Amino acid sequence: MRVLEPWLAEPLRELVRESGARVALLMTASGQVLAQHGFTRSLDVMAAAALGSGILATTGELARLVGNEAGFGAVVHQGRQQGVWLAGFDTPRGRWVGLIVFGRGSTTGLVRLFFERFAARIQALAPAPTVVREVLAEGFERELDASLRQLFGTS
Amino acid sequence: MTPARWQALLEEVTLIGGVRGAAVVSAEDGLVVHEAAMDGVATADVAALATALVRRAQSLLQVLGDEVPRMVTLAATRGTLVAVQGKLDLWLVALAEPGAELGRLRLLLGDLAPELG
Amino acid sequence: MTDLPLAPPDPGHAFLDLGERLRLRGQLEAALSVALAGAGRYPSLAAAHDLVGRIRADQGDDDGARSAWIAALECDQGAVGALKGLAFLAFRRQDLAEAERRLEAAALEAPRDTTILAALDRVRASQPAFREEPIQFDDPDAGILLFDAEGLRLAGGVGGAAADAADIAAAAGLGLVREADRTVRLLDLGECRHILVEGSRARLVAAPVAPHGGVLLHRPVTAPAGRVVAMAERAVAAARRWLEEAR
Repeated sequence: MRVLEPWLAEPLRELVRESGARVALLMTASGQVLAQHGFTRSLDVMAAAALGSGILATTGELARLVGNEAGFGAVVHQGRQQGVWLAGFDTPRGRWVGLIVFGRGSTTGLVRLFFERFAARIQALAPAPTVVREVLAEGFERELDASLRQLFGTS
Repeated sequence: MTPARWQALLEEVTLIGGVRGAAVVSAEDGLVVHEAAMDGVATADVAALATALVRRAQSLLQVLGDEVPRMVTLAATRGTLVAVQGKLDLWLVALAEPGAELGRLRLLLGDLAPELG
Repeated sequence: MTDLPLAPPDPGHAFLDLGERLRLRGQLEAALSVALAGAGRYPSLAAAHDLVGRIRADQGDDDGARSAWIAALECDQGAVGALKGLAFLAFRRQDLAEAERRLEAAALEAPRDTTILAALDRVRASQPAFREEPIQFDDPDAGILLFDAEGLRLAGGVGGAAADAADIAAAAGLGLVREADRTVRLLDLGECRHILVEGSRARLVAAPVAPHGGVLLHRPVTAPAGRVVAMAERAVAAARRWLEEAR
């Protein structure tokens, strides 16, 4: 497990343990990765983060199209051997997104239960937002690389 | 089975003294299919946890050469959870207070569960 | 037309019929000779060992009868004759708990056999209040298993199943107890007392023995649910004492 900020570790650990998640990813709504468990390659993390945030953005548009302005709470993709849970939640630091991959040892219901508890813990524990630095384009890739190195323990 | 029939079935269960609520649950994904009057408890949580309990019970029963459990009863100091297998991987789950008519509840759930699906 | 005797299903098993006829006529030595020869020739035939058991019981050789019926069960776990025979021996030496277990197992195999049900009623009526049934952790056939906080078996068994099945059951029992603990915690139901699991053939009760692990009781589905639960609750108390003494 790798986290950008230490306070994320325990809530994420509990989520993974209780829900039986094989893979877990926490990111901002724009796809910046905050924590991960179970990924072995940085490329997979980046791809999952981009796809996950994209899916939620798309379903948000679909929700508005059908008159559900508040959006959909969660998206679940259920395969024969694995399922994917994708859900957004508000934090003092903005909108965050969780992606959970679970196998046949768990259920959508269990993942939902413990994800909601996780989101509540994050909301309660999140430190106050810091002053936002303006990130220039040339600094963006450097920041992303640094984040990924920290998430994979190579920093 | 129609939602109206499910509703009638669950209401029959909740008429037993001490029963806080009842739900039809899908064991495949731990989600609520239909529910009635879960007093003070999130039905979705009951569904998820009851399903996980049933799966553990099934693992144990299979070690001993039996198959899927027909009924699982979790007795605790402040209440009892009873889950009975229906058809199509649906389970009938009830939550009861201490002192509820457990024998009658078990019999009724056993009678009604085969109607699920 | 002459009356032709019906051919036995398997000509090789004709000794069963002959041995039984000799036994019923009181010719026990001859019956035993036939039965032992047959059991030697067909060692995996439960009925052969069952016949030996019945003859030995008639001879008053309870140890010999017991050995034969155990052999029958090793060939066929559901051999009703052997289960009834062992129940009879247990009842004779006033081991009512074993008698009841054997009859419950027999009732599972032959649910319409009214003689078994009548015998079961008699055994239960003969028992002192069932609260006095001894809790035996050291008897692997008693169907009571004690496991520790890591799911390792400490004592007991699951009633006739192999030792490795008992070890697996211990691990699974801990998983069930932990899941129950999580459920009661998250649903605010207090503390877990026990979990009753009922299948088509068995009734199991798992109960935590905080903080050490738990107990698991395994009975045929013919055992009354309330009785099995009550025994499990007594087993929890006995387990605490057992663990204290074991330290």
